[in-house]
Amino acid sequence: MKNYFKLQFVMANRKLLSFGIHPAIGYFLLLLLYVLLSELLFYKKTFAPYIYIIIALFFIPKLSDMRRNDFLKINFGGRYLKVRILENLIVVLPFAVFLICKQQILPTFLLIAIAISMTFLNFKTDYSITIPTPFGKKPFEFTAGFRNTFILFMIAYALAVIAIAVNNFNLGVFSLMLIFFTIVCYYLKPENEYFVWSYSFTPAKFLIEKIKTAYLYSLYLCMPALMLLSIFYFEHIDILLLFALSGYLYLTVFILIKYAAYPREMDLVQGIIICVTLVFPPALIAVIPLFVSQSVNRLKVFLK
Amino acid sequence: MITITNLSKSFGSKQILKNINICFERGTVYGIVGENGAGKTTLFRCIAGLENYDGQITSELNPLKNHLGLLFTEPFFFTKITGKEYIRLLCNARKKEVPDIDNKNIFDLPLNQYASTYSTGMKKKLTMTAILLQDNQCFILDEPFNGVDIHSNMIIVEIIRKLKDMGKTVIVSSHIFSTLSDTCNEIFLLSNGEIVRKAAREDFAALELEMKKFTVDNKIEKLKAILFT
Repeated sequence: MKNYFKLQFVMANRKLLSFGIHPAIGYFLLLLLYVLLSELLFYKKTFAPYIYIIIALFFIPKLSDMRRNDFLKINFGGRYLKVRILENLIVVLPFAVFLICKQQILPTFLLIAIAISMTFLNFKTDYSITIPTPFGKKPFEFTAGFRNTFILFMIAYALAVIAIAVNNFNLGVFSLMLIFFTIVCYYLKPENEYFVWSYSFTPAKFLIEKIKTAYLYSLYLCMPALMLLSIFYFEHIDILLLFALSGYLYLTVFILIKYAAYPREMDLVQGIIICVTLVFPPALIAVIPLFVSQSVNRLKVFLK
Repeated sequence: MITITNLSKSFGSKQILKNINICFERGTVYGIVGENGAGKTTLFRCIAGLENYDGQITSELNPLKNHLGLLFTEPFFFTKITGKEYIRLLCNARKKEVPDIDNKNIFDLPLNQYASTYSTGMKKKLTMTAILLQDNQCFILDEPFNGVDIHSNMIIVEIIRKLKDMGKTVIVSSHIFSTLSDTCNEIFLLSNGEIVRKAAREDFAALELEMKKFTVDNKIEKLKAILFT
């Protein structure tokens, strides 16, 4: 059992190294980010401890995957429950510590109790019900992505409606941002090389096709919210279009970055560049040509 | 035609392929046999252009990769795309319009289900369907019979024969010798990264016997030593 947890630690270190971050620095940055976000949550929200519990529990279903549990049962036999309880406790530990620091004793106990009881659950993460999408003509980013995140779109559209109902334009803009943020996430993970190699396109043509498809399908997804907000906030249509345009611009950047790093995932330097462009958007003028050239070079290996 | 001249490939200090020289002709089926780790998959990846290598791989098809149907031992699948979408993805990649995919479902696969939920054999059959619909000139089939049911095995054998008749080049690897002797014109034995033997149809039986003697006899002695002493 000790070896199993040691192995988990080694795997986590390898994951950080694959991002180009030394594990010690990675853990420090994660801790810093975690404390900052937690403080922010507790500073702004009245029900923060309960939101905090939900966030903490969000990470557990991944560990309770049916096939993963079966694997652990086969290998650990009688010690299976002990392993799973320990795993769940390790996941919620940072949250529990923070809750104790904030003197939230009852939520802490609640969190630990739910985490332990979730050990007895098996989550099936691979459902066989096929969710229909309008993106079947050009798979795969939007077909697979939409099926994984369609709830977020429901939330975004609901927020747009609420924004109109309560006359809160900022909430409407937020719903638009949520849509684009979700779409951008479809391009964070590099696909298996077979699915790039298969294309009989030049690197430039491949990128153009990817961007064209992303633009068209993003339009499908952002149109309901954008139309609704444009009708009810016609006086702010310029701001709405500016946000939509920024969404498209960052979507382009993320597609380019994905293939600039391909077949690896985005590294720390590229992450920093993205952060710089978020703080200072005019930097995109320099960043986009840079990533175009880098991605074309990376793709040349697979698309001769 | 694909000509491989002095092909060598190393990963770090470990040499996987050593000075391979083979010529693959049109309308011919070639078998590649060898133990696990002999270098078969690396050879296929080099032909497909997925690996850098020393030596030369030339073809009248330029670039070869755009006319090559590649079936890996364990095809990769995205988690939430259906069988039909997978076929469409691979056909789109080769600019091939396939209007009525359901009618081209030779293996009767549940094409509206997520492909990631398929069994190993079904995944292979799906990839096989997709690369056939891509209308390639050459095919590399890495262990196409592994994990596939007996009926589909027969269909795959028939497909390979048909491809040969259509003048395509087919390169197959398999650990089931009978499937190769049924379909291939020539078989190459790859051992430790080297082609150590080339057999034409009339020599297949002798090759099988040699392989059996070398691999099985060796292993049985080892097994006896481990289990019964």
